[in-house]
Formats: sequence, structure tokens, C-alpha cells
Amino acid sequence: MKKSTKIILIGLVVMMMSVSAFARGKKSTITIAGSTTVLPIAQATAEVFMDKNPDINISVRGGGSSVGIASIMSGTVDIGDASRHIKNKELAAARKSGINIVEHIVANDGITIVLNNSNTIDALTLSQLKDIYTGKIQNWKELGGKNMPIVVVSRDVSSGTFEVFNKLVLKNAKGLNSALMLASNNAVVTTISTTPGAIGYVGLGYVTDKIKAVSVDGVKATEKTIQTKEYPISRTLQMYTRGIPTGIVKQYIDFVLSPEGQDIVEQQGFIRIMDDKNK
Amino acid sequence: MKKTLLLVVIILIVVSSLTAETKLKMESWNRWTYQTEDGELIKNEMALKRGYLRLEPKFGSNISGRFNLDFFSDDDAGDGAGIKLKYAYLDFSNLLPVKDLKFTVGLMKTYFGTIYSWNYTTIEKDPSDKYKFVSSTDYGFGLSGYFPNGFGTYQAAVYNGEGYKKTGDELNKDMNFLGNIRVIPIPGITVGGSFMMKTAKDSEIPDSQGNMIDNPEREEFTQFAVIGNFAYGNVKILSQYLNQTKSTPNINGSDDVVKTVISLMPTYKINNKIDLVARYDLYDPNSDVDDDGKSLMLFGANYHLMRDAKNKPKLMIQANYEIETPEDSDADAVNTMMVQLRWIFSNKLK
Repeated sequence: MKKSTKIILIGLVVMMMSVSAFARGKKSTITIAGSTTVLPIAQATAEVFMDKNPDINISVRGGGSSVGIASIMSGTVDIGDASRHIKNKELAAARKSGINIVEHIVANDGITIVLNNSNTIDALTLSQLKDIYTGKIQNWKELGGKNMPIVVVSRDVSSGTFEVFNKLVLKNAKGLNSALMLASNNAVVTTISTTPGAIGYVGLGYVTDKIKAVSVDGVKATEKTIQTKEYPISRTLQMYTRGIPTGIVKQYIDFVLSPEGQDIVEQQGFIRIMDDKNK
Repeated sequence: MKKTLLLVVIILIVVSSLTAETKLKMESWNRWTYQTEDGELIKNEMALKRGYLRLEPKFGSNISGRFNLDFFSDDDAGDGAGIKLKYAYLDFSNLLPVKDLKFTVGLMKTYFGTIYSWNYTTIEKDPSDKYKFVSSTDYGFGLSGYFPNGFGTYQAAVYNGEGYKKTGDELNKDMNFLGNIRVIPIPGITVGGSFMMKTAKDSEIPDSQGNMIDNPEREEFTQFAVIGNFAYGNVKILSQYLNQTKSTPNINGSDDVVKTVISLMPTYKINNKIDLVARYDLYDPNSDVDDDGKSLMLFGANYHLMRDAKNKPKLMIQANYEIETPEDSDADAVNTMMVQLRWIFSNKLK
């Protein structure tokens, strides 16, 4: 290699590293993206946090757990929300890029099985759910209900809720091809509420009186059964940051994890991560 | 061409009706190349250097696949355009009780060096591809997985050995064997390597009487790659050393030929719109011969006009200036300017 070439190369590398070291500045905006399940928690906590800190602006959007994790890895957001844990594949990609992803569990949740209000079924087992979602059971009368075809509603495969449901209920079996794959919890609620034979699943915070939640293996999704993991389709909800958070991002995460933040989690229909009321 | 297009349409219909979800992706590289040697113009060309149509079906959470057709249209293509099948494989997860282990079969990635993860940050090809160490895809089967907690990746595979382009007399009956590992001990530092044994031409061929005799064209290769990546903030440096030893066992007294490449590629992301890229390759096709090598120096930038929801490139302009300098001082350097518009779109069919 010629000497001049070596000098150019070394100079280029040094320049890049120097610019990088000084590239980060002070900011007063927090950006959050990801899971539509975590979205109401992020929105509600952000609203209260901004009221308390008027000089800080928080921008929150959905997109799904995969988008949340991809966005934190690309550095386009400060916090990535996910309703599933980060995958080994994503963790490896982050580490390769020099990013230390830190997980913050912000709430507990139960994936709630929901039916149309006109459905007479009140309880299902995990085994029956698997049979419904794999197409072995196709009519409600097979389960003691009305003679009515089952309309299977699922989430799109990039959804964290889908991945957890797939793991805990389907045990990674192949789901029904004809299932309606919807992009958000709200879309599932709307479809179930307007389709008599429909069955779907949503985060507990999305259950309203427009739809009917059923018990699974004899257990209803409640604060207690989810906290004790008695409810069989329980999970945690996460916020991810690049490294241990500092500055205003730390302030916000600390707020979400505080008793006040956890009260907001509860108000949104999810389960707090600690029972600080009883402390 | 008509048959291929018909095949694509049939596959699109069949795959989208059978799968839980199918992702459709298309990518196109429209490139202008301006090349000179010793001040003389060699090439001034605008072309569709590469385009591809990709289907990624998911047959449930345990089985997924990739089907990829590559298109190209430039002055080098015989009838002005060409099409090749680049990928056609299935991934099976959870076949074995090892977390994150995947079994792949079909026309699949070649896990050597960085060719399988090369995303063309520079317009120039991956070093293993450019200096003919491996073909980017080949027929075969293999296992791949992740170490716990994101500490790295590993792959082991058996390949047909001829890649996706060779046909007829270029094929032989021996398989290729490959192992590949990456370890990320701390975030930002990746080390690892690949090892591959491959062959070209059958060891024996029939003579005019039909008796089997040693084939003098038989070649056997042992090759490895050593990889070291560094990432900190907006800076990434990719370095690799490639080494290939070629022997011709059926030629008495023949010497092994050792081919090496040293490649260094720093990139700097100024912001989400602009990356600066550079690359230096030192290629020696035969370590026993003086002045037969060459170096490649490349500088460039990528301008991202659009990105998708996961911040992956959707529409970008790449500009590269490269100087290829022969070791032989009597030979002239080749200067190449390339500007490329690269656009990508994807959607879910179901």
C-alpha cells in the first residue's frame, strides 16, 4: 500500500470517530414508537408527564412491537415499546451495531379471549382455543353454543401479541389460513363487536362492554390472576432503550415505573408491575 | 422469458393462497457507470444493473421461505436483459429442541465471509463475491442459529458447490462443506470467521474407451475468512481477511495457488439521511507471483430519500468513486464513477 493511501485511510477513520463523539446534543423531546398494546400506556403516561414537565415534549406512535424494536435499534426513537420480549436475533443485531438494548418492564397484561356479546359461550380451555385457531373446531355448536360458524380473528404476524398468543396457545402450531389477520387491537375489538360468530384476542386494556371476555381453563383475566400468573395467557409489557437511560428519557421511564405511573397503567386497564398499594 | 413470467404469476397465486402471510418485495438498481483507464473512456453506461422480485411466504410460525428472481438489463446481457433464480428455500424452526435453531433447505445463502449479510452499503460487491471466493447462493441444506443473549450467530451447511449460475460441464458430483461463526463479546465488537472446503470438476472422467481416468482439470479449494467488525455511535468499520488455497491434485508436481484479500470498509452515518462510505481492498490472486495483484480504493455517499416504518431504506441515491490500481507499475489504474438510484417496495399479500 502506498504511504499516501495509508494516510488518507487513517485520516478518514479518525475524522469519523471524532465527529461521532461530538454528535450528540442536549434535547427536550422524547420519541416513542412500537406496540399498539403498550400505546395507551405510553400515551397516558406521556400526557401526565408533559403536564408536570412543560418544557419536555413526548411524541408517541404505534406500529407494532417489531417496529418499536427496529426503531430503537436504528436510533430513530428514544424508546421502543413491545408487548413481547426482544428476540435473540434482534439482540444480536443490536450488539453487532454497538447498541446495548436495555429492557424496562412497565406493566403486566393478559391476552384476553373475546367474543361477540351475542355469543352464549362464557368459558374455553387452552386446548379448545388451539383447536379453534388451527381449524379443528369450526362451529360454536361443537362447544355447546349456537349453530354458528366460528369467524377466527387474529393479529398480523409482526404483532407482539400474535407472537405471545402463538407461543402460549398454539404452541407454535400452524394457525388457520382463513383467519382474519388484523393490524391492531382496536381493529380486533371493532370486528368482534360487529361479527356474531367471531373470536379474537386483545390486551386486557382493550376489553370494553362492546365485547365479551371469556375465561380460559376456568380462570378469568383479572388483576390478581394475571399478577399471580394463574391466568394462562399472561405476559409483561416492555419499553426498550439504547443503553441505561439518562436525562429526560430516564426521568420519563422512572415516572412510568413510579406509583403514579403505575396508577395510570391500571387506569388504562393493565396490571401494575408491583402491588405498591399494599406496601 | 414468457415461461418464467408465467411461472412467477402461478407461484404468486399458489403461494398467496396457501400461506398464512406472504410478503412481496421488489428492488431495482438503476445505475450510471462512467469508467476510464489512463484517461481513456471505457464505459459510459446507464442500466438496470439489478432488480429482483421476492416472495417471502410464512406457512405458520415454524415454516417460512424465500423465492427470489433476479433481473438485469445492461450492455453485457446477451439479449439486453436476463433473469435468474437467486433464492428458493424454506426455513424450518423448532425441528430440534434447540432455541433459535433453524434448518434451511433449497437454493440458499452461502454463509461465507460477509457475502450473506452484504447489504450494498457501497455499490461495489462483497469481497468474497468480487474476488470469486464463493457464489452468493447455492443449492444445499444447513443449520443456523443464535447464541443466547445476542452473543453471536453460527451456521453449518452442505452445498452442491456450483452456485446458482453454473450449468452443464461446470458441475461436479462433490459437495461443499461450510462452517461459519460470529461472536459479539461486547456490543460493537464482532469477531469470527468462516471455513469452507469446495471442489471444481469431477476427480475422474471417462476416456474415449469409457474407462475412468484422473481429470487434470480437477481443482480442490480450502478457504477461510477472518472477520472483525467495530461499531461505535455512528461509525462502523468492517474488516476481513480472505484466504484460498487451490490445489490441482491430478497434475503431478503442481504447486498450490494461494489467493488473499484484505478488505477494510469504514462507514459514517451523518444523520438518518446521509451515510459516508469508504473501502480499501488489497487483492493478491497468487502469493507466489509478484505484481499480479491490485488494490481498490472507494469513497462514496448514500442519500436516503425515504425509509420504511422499520427505518430500512426505501429510496436512496448512492454515489461511489473508485480507483482500481494494479500492483504492476506498468499497468494503468481504472477509475470508475457510479451513481445509482436504488428503490425498494414491499407489501403483504395476505
